[in-house]
This record gives sequence, C-alpha cells and structure tokens, in this order.
Amino acid sequence: MVLDLTDVTPFLTWLFGLGWTDGAIFGLIPLIVVLLLVGGGATWLVAAIRRGRGATSPRAGAIVSTAMAAGIGLAVAGIVVWLLLPAKTTAAIQPAFLDGAAWLLGSGWYHGAVYQWLLVAACAAELAFAFGWLASAVRHGPVVAFATAGQLAGDAVLDTLRISPRRVAALAGLAVKESIRRRVIVVFAVFIVILLFAGWYLDPKNPNPARIYLDFVLTATSYLVLLLALFLSSLSLPADLKSRTLHTVVTKPVRMSEVVLGRIAGFTAVTTLLLLPMSAISYAFVQRGLAHTHDVLIDDLQPVRGSTPGQPASLQGRTTVVSAHSHKVFVDSATNAAAVEMEQRHTHSLPLQKITVGGKAMYRTGPAEGMLVARVPVYGKLAFRDRTGQPAEKGINVGDEWTYRSFIEGGSLATAIWSFQGITEDRFKDGLPLEMTIESFRTHKGIIEKAVLGSLLVRNPSSDKNKPVTVEIFGAKDFAIDAHKIPRQWQTAGGKKIDLFKDIVSKDGQIEIWLRCDDRGQYFGCAQADMYLRASDASFAWNFVKGYLAIWLTSLLVVSLGVMFSTFLSGPVAMLATLGTLVAGFFHDFMLRLATGQTLGGGPFESIGRILNQENMTAQAAPGVATTVAQTLDAVAKFGLYLLAAVLPDFSRFSLAEFVASGFSIPGDTVLTYACRTFAFVLPVFVVGYLCLKNREVAQ
Amino acid sequence: MQPEVIIETRSLSKVYRDFWGRQKVRALKSLDMEVRRGEIFGLLGPNGSGKSTTIKLILGLLFPTSGQALVFGQDAREVTKNQRIGYLPEESYLYKFLNAEETLDFYGRLFNMPRAVRRQRIADLIEMVGLNWAKRRQLKEYSKGMTRRIGLAQALINDPELILLDEPTTGLDPIGTREMKDLIIKLKEQGKTVLMCSHLLADVQDVCDRIAILYQGELKEMGRVDNLLKVRDVTEIRATGLTPLAQEEIRLAIERNNGHILNMDNPTTTLEDLFLKIIRESEEHPGRRVRGVGERT
Repeated sequence: MVLDLTDVTPFLTWLFGLGWTDGAIFGLIPLIVVLLLVGGGATWLVAAIRRGRGATSPRAGAIVSTAMAAGIGLAVAGIVVWLLLPAKTTAAIQPAFLDGAAWLLGSGWYHGAVYQWLLVAACAAELAFAFGWLASAVRHGPVVAFATAGQLAGDAVLDTLRISPRRVAALAGLAVKESIRRRVIVVFAVFIVILLFAGWYLDPKNPNPARIYLDFVLTATSYLVLLLALFLSSLSLPADLKSRTLHTVVTKPVRMSEVVLGRIAGFTAVTTLLLLPMSAISYAFVQRGLAHTHDVLIDDLQPVRGSTPGQPASLQGRTTVVSAHSHKVFVDSATNAAAVEMEQRHTHSLPLQKITVGGKAMYRTGPAEGMLVARVPVYGKLAFRDRTGQPAEKGINVGDEWTYRSFIEGGSLATAIWSFQGITEDRFKDGLPLEMTIESFRTHKGIIEKAVLGSLLVRNPSSDKNKPVTVEIFGAKDFAIDAHKIPRQWQTAGGKKIDLFKDIVSKDGQIEIWLRCDDRGQYFGCAQADMYLRASDASFAWNFVKGYLAIWLTSLLVVSLGVMFSTFLSGPVAMLATLGTLVAGFFHDFMLRLATGQTLGGGPFESIGRILNQENMTAQAAPGVATTVAQTLDAVAKFGLYLLAAVLPDFSRFSLAEFVASGFSIPGDTVLTYACRTFAFVLPVFVVGYLCLKNREVAQ
Repeated sequence: MQPEVIIETRSLSKVYRDFWGRQKVRALKSLDMEVRRGEIFGLLGPNGSGKSTTIKLILGLLFPTSGQALVFGQDAREVTKNQRIGYLPEESYLYKFLNAEETLDFYGRLFNMPRAVRRQRIADLIEMVGLNWAKRRQLKEYSKGMTRRIGLAQALINDPELILLDEPTTGLDPIGTREMKDLIIKLKEQGKTVLMCSHLLADVQDVCDRIAILYQGELKEMGRVDNLLKVRDVTEIRATGLTPLAQEEIRLAIERNNGHILNMDNPTTTLEDLFLKIIRESEEHPGRRVRGVGERT
C-alpha cells in the first residue's frame, strides 16, 4: 500500500512539514529531547515508585518541570535553527510500496509511524504542560505553578502506571450494569425490527443484490452501535456527578485514570457484546436473503440453433424468475451436462436436479454461487501508449468531468498496459483469472446493442524486443465486472502454440497485459484499479468479520471521545461535542482542503460575501476593504480549521464496509492500520479525559 | 505523649466561584484544626456553616482555595490515603440498580480486596447493619434508613482507621439514631478515629470527645465536650430515696451556706429515652398497650 504521512495523523503535516519533506523536528535535536525526557523521567519514576508514595512532592514536581521546560526550549531552538537554514530539497521519490511492518516501524530514511506518534505525543505532552503551567500561574504565580505543573505531570505518569486491573474491571462491570439498566437491549430489538422489515425496501431488481444487502446490514449496524456508544459514553459520567454517586467512588483508593479507563472498557464491552450477535444475525440475514434456486421446465427447452435436427442436441432455455431475475441455461441432452449463465453477478451450482412438480418434469439448479465473495485482487501498474504506439503519460481526456479514467482510442495503436509482479506457476495453476471494469465511450452510436470490441494481449517484459501476443477479442461490458481468463496454453491466429509460463511470464514473475480498443472511433476508459488478477478468494465470512471489526474500532473511538468530553462537559453538551467531532471527522478531507485554500471561492468569510453579492465562485474577488477584511478573517479561520483538522480523527477512513459490500477481501495490513490508527487516537483521548477529571472538583 | 495527628488543616480556606471566576461564597475561612488518633471529633454548626465543605476538602472532593488539608500526613488530594478512610456521605450516594451484596462487592473491589476476603467481609457487614433479609433487593427499593445502613456498611468495607461521617443520623428513626451512636462509640473502642459533622446537637453531645463549632465558615469554638459544657458555678445533686423531710433539710443546709437553689424537682427523662423504653417493652410483650412512664406514677 502506498503510505501517506497524513495517514498516521494529520497533526504531523502541521508540525513536521508537508508531504515527504523532512521537518526539522526529525533531526537530532528532538531525539536528544526525547532521550532527555525519557531518561530523566525514568530515573525519577523509579525513585518515586520506590518511595511508595503517590503524590509527587513539590521538589520532584520542580525537577519534572525543569525537564519539560528544557524539552520545550530545545524544541524551540530546533525550530529556529530549521527556519534559519536554507530550504531543503524535497525527497521527491516516494517509496511506493511499504510492506509489512515497515510503515509502522520504519525502513531506511522513513522513521515509521510509531516514531512519529511518539514524537507527536511528546510535543502534545509539552503543550499540555505549558498550558497547565499557564493555568496554574494565573492563580498561584509562576514559581508555585512551576512545581504544581510538574507534580501534575508526574502524577499523570504514576496514575497511569499504577492502574489496577481489578479496579478497572469493577468500574467496567458497573458501566455494563448501568448500560443494561438503561435498556441497551432496546437497540438490539430495534435492529431486529429493522431486519424484519428490510425485505420491503431492498430492491431485488438491482444488478448487484449482494451489495445492497451487505451495505444495508453494515450501515444499519454501524449507525445503531455508534449512536448507542455516543449516548452511553457521554451521559454516564455527568449523571454520576449529578447524583453524586461518584463521591462514594472517588473516596475509595480509585485513581481518575481508572475511572476513565473503566468507563471506556465497560462501554466498549457493551458495544462488543451487542456487535457479536448483530454480526451473526446479519450474516444469517444476508445468507438467507440471497439464497434461492431456479427451476427450468424441461419441455420449454429449445434446441440450440445450428445443431442437426434429430440428433441428441444441446438445448437451451430460461429458468423461472426468482428474486426478479432468471438465468439462461444450456443443457447437453446427451451427457446431461449443463451451464448456467451469470446474472446479477452470480450463477448456480451444478448439477441440475431432475424433479417433478405437479406432473411436470423440470430441472432445479443448485444454490446461488459467487454472490458473497471476498476477492483477493492483485493489482498492477498502469502505463499508456498513444495512438502511434509511443509511451505516453496518460491516455486521452474525452471531456469527462471525472478524470479518474484515462481513455485510449479505438482502431489505433493506443494501448493501456498493466504490469503485474509476482506471477508464479504455483499461485496461478489454471492460468490467470482476470477481472476488469472498462468504461466504453462512444463517439458514434454504431449498433447500440453490440458491445464495443476490444482485445487483450500479453507480453513478456523481460526484453523490449518481445512482441505482444493476442489472447482474446471481447465485447466490453459496461458497468459490470468483466471476467476473463488467460489460459495456460493457447494457439495464436497464426497457429503458433503459446505457453503462458514458458513464453510470456518472465523469469522474475512479471507480465504485461495490454488492452486495446478495436472499434474505430470508440474509446475505452481505464484506471489502474480497473484491471486486477483474481488470485484466489478469501473466506467471505472472515471478510465479513473484518468489516464488523472496523465498526468495533470506530465505536471504541466514539466511546473514548464521549467519555473524554463527559469529564468536563455536562451530559447533553458532551453528547453534542462527540457528535460534532464525528461529523467534523467525516468531513475531514473537506476541512483540510478548505484550510489549505484548495476550494473555490475562498474561506468561509469570503464565501459569505460571495453569497450575499451573488458572485460566482470562480470569479476573482473585487479588491476593496470588504474583501481584505474577509480574507484576513479567513486566514485566521483557516488556521483554526487547520489545527482542528490536525487533531480530529478522519472518520471517513474508518469504514471498511465498502470492501465487504463490493466483494473484495480486506487486506490484513489495512485492518492493522485501522487498529493502530484507532489506538493512536484512543490513548491521547484517554489522557486528556484523565487530566480533565483529575483537575476537576468532583463535589463542585 | 499525645496520640498522633490524623487530620490536620492549615489555614484551610474555600471560596466558591461561579463560571466566570467571580466570588460567590466564602465557605471556609482559614480553618486550623487537628484530629488525633482514637478520638471522635464533631463538626458542629448550622446549615451552610462550612461543615460539609470541610469534610469534602479533607477527602479531596474539593480543592482548597488556599491552605492545606493533610490526612495521615499526606495531601488530601492524594488517592492512596483513601485506603485507610471510610466515608459516609450526607445522603448515601449509591448506585440504585445494584443490590446490597453487589454494592459492597463493588466497593470492595475498588479496594483491590481478594475475592475470599471480600465475601467474608460483605457477609459480616450485612449482618452488622442488619440487612440480611434484604441483601438481594435493589437499592432503589430500600427505605431511607436501609439506604443509610448500607451506606455505613460500604464506609466500613475496608476496615478503615479513619471514618468520616457527614450527618450520620439524618433520616434515621430514633432506634436507628441510637444504633448509629452506639456504633460510633464502638468504633472508637476499636481504636478508630471518627470525624463527624452534624447540626443535631444532642447527637454530637452524646458521642463526641471534642467538637469544633463553625459559623459562616469561621471556627468559633473548639475543645473537649465535657469542658465546654461544664457550668462551673452550678452544682448538681442527684439522689434517690430521700424523704420530703430530708429534702427540706438539704434545702436549709444550702441556704445556710449562702447557696441559692435554682431548681429542685423530680427529673424528667428525655423523649428519646422514653421512646426507646416503649419500643423495648412492646417487643417484650407484643400486643399490649404500654402506659407511659408518667402515667404509672
């Protein structure tokens, strides 16, 4: 997978330069700071734990404060040095593929997500320290505040290290009991009711019913569970504060870290307990909802045109209509072998069963096949050749607003070439199963029912002299996955025998697959992800579980956010704040674009002006006082937005439902990335929640 | 040698502020006091005098505006002190959806107590507060007195050295009040230290060794109860079996010594004692109407 730094957290781009530019923070100075902090902190910690006392003494606080202040000083010095240095040339080459744990632990000059996360955490800790010192200084003066802030930082570390599993378990158990008392089971009932009536609304005529079913269950589950997580987590602590039950709890030897962690753990347990049966029921619902068989009346079967009359010939016919579709069936009357044509992205398993219903003999197909799949695609890299056969960066733009696909011209040498790696004989024993989604673009109508013709060629990339070899000529299907197979052996039109692995695939397992459009004046549009080799299918059930795992991870994040907000806000306000974070997180990309000025019409204030003046978004703003004021305000707003976008989790990336619904296996490292991203956010959220609760007067 | 100091406050002050930081109330003004091991200390004062504020500051539920509260020599905000503290809040703030056993089990787990110890302790405490018959009922079904008892049980779950009781007798009937007072004295006998606050003067007088009287956040009086209440220029004689003649003789003897008789009468009992006597007798002879002490003579 191609890794983007912003993947880990957008905060980085703000702090450490954009894209792949190495920020100053990556240099030696911060490393020294981190080492200083870690070293000093560890020494002090060992001493504190040995002393066996909880509260950090003012003296220890002052030491911690000194270390923190030194950290801030060094960081500031680092930034100043960086600003003074001449601009560095950017490392323009992106490492295209980072496999396995490299994105996490780093490889080469890339330091890895963990390192960056630690760095960000250290910076955030410094910021929190500075903020704590300021807040304390306002009330107690700068000197006392110096010790206080250090004490607070020390206590935070101690309170985190001394968390007792038994107490957390007790508090989590209480949260679960509270949830049960709040009738969590109602959510489950609602889910069942929704499923019961879902059949009325799910359109059976859709060309891809599996997608509709999967989309539906995954969406329904995630909305219900996320809403529940939101309600439970944000209302619980404020209710406890209001009813003062928290007084009795915190006068026991309970650390605030345990109170916060207990809630998070408890409510996560509730969502987990709810998700387990929900996923099982959803799975059964999808399986049962899509299961069907068809019948074919034997008398209705017609001989295939071209077969000799009187001979036992191949027969063809259509099945009965079930779930708003029927299949074309071919039966060889001699051998009884049969074939069922693909419809609504599935066929039926064979053999056909002979049955008699109401005195009529008919065949019955097996259960549906290929509806619920988890394809494991092998993607290649796409390159283009122009109409003269010369390498080109892109194909032709046919004026489509969506520039995702690039087009190749029919009846010319224009070609789209996908290069694949890692093709070995033991991986593809039966040849290369190929799937593609090609968009045809017609400049003239032609025979509208006739598909635009294209040809598939393969080439051995080991030498430039190798010529491409035609495999197949096909009619392009629009808006559908077109499945082909490159066989192990075939004969060219010239009568030459070709062996796939001997002649075409290079020794290091590479192959080029060429696509050309054969109809003059028509075009094929393609993008890199449009063609892939379908190596093998992963287990659909396991893929389904992964989809639910993503929902679980999101709910964990929502629970943490809800608990964090509820440590300093009242119930309804905490809920709104969490909801706001969720919504803003879903529009994360837009916020970032707005903040970096990539949207048309300027920032929020300039846009308001344009709306009032009924100005076009693309028009240059007329110079004047109003424009200057608006743009100045925008600059401030954009900076605020940038900061906000930097801290917020990008929720739009937290769903894996699309993978499951469109029938692709979720890669393992994607799940791992999601999990890491979730915990990268949950941890600081927990710390913030702890600090807020710790510094709050429970009895106020 | 004086016993060790358990609670110490050093010019402890608390100002309640509103959202904007404006001063609303000065709840406590520079309180200095000490509670020593093994004594029952009472905080006395009318509503709003700062008693609860003091207790909450000592527990770390509130943070002092200035000054310091020390418990077992540690700052009041330090959680580890709670290991040795039991606290009965003003109203028992407990989770209503738990039953008595679950409640005690929950608080026991917060003390990191192993399961076996917890079980034994819970059984003992439920027995002690007399809730054995209702231990499986959710607390929302409990009466005020029962809630108070289970509140007391949770305060004692860790066998604390220091017990803080916020208005321990409010909401209790006379029997409950007496039992609570007996229990407090029993705790003292076990060597525990008790800090209680109350506005019911009789309760404080009955059990406390030392008291502090707060009014509008200021300490007005502090000392041993017997010293504070002793009326030094009045002598009290209580005797039984005196004939009217003998009484007359005593009266004369007092007058001879230039004494002045303020009052000489048959004493009345307190209403509390009367009430408890009636209850006791009806338990001994169920179904019979008991004539009061006054009627019998």
